[in-house]
Amino acid sequence: MKTIAIDRLPDLAQALSKAGYRVVAPVDEGGVVRLREWTKGLALALDAVPVNSVKDVLFPRSEVVARFALEESGGFTPAPLERSAPKTVVLCARPCDAAALSALDAVFNWDYRDGSYNARRAATTVVSLACFKADEHCFCTSVNGAPDGTAGADALLRPADGGKKLVFEALSDKGRQLEAMVSDGQAVPDAPAALKRRFDSAAVGRWLASNFESPFWKEAALACLGCGACAYACPVCHCFDLQDESDKKECRRLRNWDSCGFGLFTLHASGHNPRPDQSARWRQRVTHKFSIYPQKFKTFACTGCGRCARLCQAGMAIAETCERIEALGR
Amino acid sequence: MMKALREAAAKLLQEKRAVLVIGYADRKGRPAVFVSKPEDCGRLVYDSSCRQNLAAYLGKPELRARLPVAVVAPPAVLRSLVVLTAESQIPAGQVLALAVDHDAFLGVFDAAGAAELLRSKFPDLGPEKALLERVAELSKKSAAERAAFWAEEFAKCTRCYACRAACPGCYCSRCIVEKNAPQWVSTAALGHGNYTWNVMRAFHQSGRCTLCGACEAACPQGLPLMVLNAVLDREALAEFDARPGYDPEGKPVIGSWSAEDDHSYMR
Repeated sequence: MKTIAIDRLPDLAQALSKAGYRVVAPVDEGGVVRLREWTKGLALALDAVPVNSVKDVLFPRSEVVARFALEESGGFTPAPLERSAPKTVVLCARPCDAAALSALDAVFNWDYRDGSYNARRAATTVVSLACFKADEHCFCTSVNGAPDGTAGADALLRPADGGKKLVFEALSDKGRQLEAMVSDGQAVPDAPAALKRRFDSAAVGRWLASNFESPFWKEAALACLGCGACAYACPVCHCFDLQDESDKKECRRLRNWDSCGFGLFTLHASGHNPRPDQSARWRQRVTHKFSIYPQKFKTFACTGCGRCARLCQAGMAIAETCERIEALGR
Repeated sequence: MMKALREAAAKLLQEKRAVLVIGYADRKGRPAVFVSKPEDCGRLVYDSSCRQNLAAYLGKPELRARLPVAVVAPPAVLRSLVVLTAESQIPAGQVLALAVDHDAFLGVFDAAGAAELLRSKFPDLGPEKALLERVAELSKKSAAERAAFWAEEFAKCTRCYACRAACPGCYCSRCIVEKNAPQWVSTAALGHGNYTWNVMRAFHQSGRCTLCGACEAACPQGLPLMVLNAVLDREALAEFDARPGYDPEGKPVIGSWSAEDDHSYMR
């Protein structure tokens, strides 16, 4: 059995760093826990679900996907693009983050194999930390997950001996490559967080597939103010916008995160907007996650991490919407 | 207090002076709740944990289609309602305020009444002590240190625009950050684009911001946006005697011009 004392996690981070990995880990930055590049001396913040997810490592919020040198004549020539895919370990990701990877893999390899995403995915090892507690926004057990779920992870750290130690369980070849950095030991694993299932996601999907025009949506989305906070924090949301930005010498094609919560997202050049109000946009968000995505990719586009509800000032909570939908379907 | 608020809201709905009451819900986090039936007014609540500025909903087309409305409004929200009136964003007589403060229900007011209430009962609303301390703390730093501080903070911005959505003053149907012919602000959630966006957002609020704190509360990344707002509030007050939210006919500093303004910077 491989074990590590929980207060020795920075040592493991340091060992990984020495072995040539970029280490990304949850760090408390002035009260906001964020997955960020770990550097020596930083403590790992394990008590809160970080505000961002592993998605940020694989699919950054803004990325240059093409460059063009501009000529005075008005012409242009494509310029070489350096792709950055450093060898990375995400240390103490959440099982709900790792679970998102199959949903992301599916879309980034669907009709087009996305080079940047796949290069980073291949270079990234995800070490999850099983959750020993859940808060009122967590609902992984409603979307086929578990507080100690292993889906998508290369290794799992399981709290043991009353939270004093962690048991390291390798789950893939990438995970096994890290085994040598953890010593042998003995520990009794703790029970993972107990989390009651809040809704039947399959039943929600069935209702969604045939209630596009339900008056439910008008009331359900009244509080939504139409920002992108939920989509950007979501470990699965992956919509992006392409923008060309240039100075006199060069044009850069940017891929920026985008959100179906924005009115601009579907606005046509003609002025027509097929999703004319926030209820249509909230319906899209919920329907995409629980009906369209499972039909297309056999997985929900939601892992129950609860980030969206945790940070929404307007109190929009997708689990609550799903509970109401399940009740409507009965 | 809660009883008086709920009764007043129910009465407005009964008398059809409002078809919808926008208030704070009696649940954790105190999110917005929309009540259209008098018998549902028991869902309304107000206490110090209410963080949203409900006047932000007046810019939402779905709610503008359901006028007249009444809005539960602590002093900063009352000021926002007056600012929106001064900026012609509220159809006359279509929005009423259910004024609240700490543990008191203060009554039902239209924009003129709200301004009068503010002038008599809350004549000097400004940044709270804790916010002034944050500003003072930052002011001790050198210009280079401050620039480094903001660069580090703005680097965290993901451009989700939760700050904009939470703010009643951000009601433009097409924000300048989304204009691309020409493109004024880089769309990349990085470096100078983030810097420009955050500073520009704050500048557009100068002399209009009511210091409600909703933008900062809404920021998932915890950016200290109120520090920017407080500094601009101070400058707009010192330079232009801007007291947003006290006069429903007052002209916003950023939207007006006077021959008496200081033009010495133009050379």
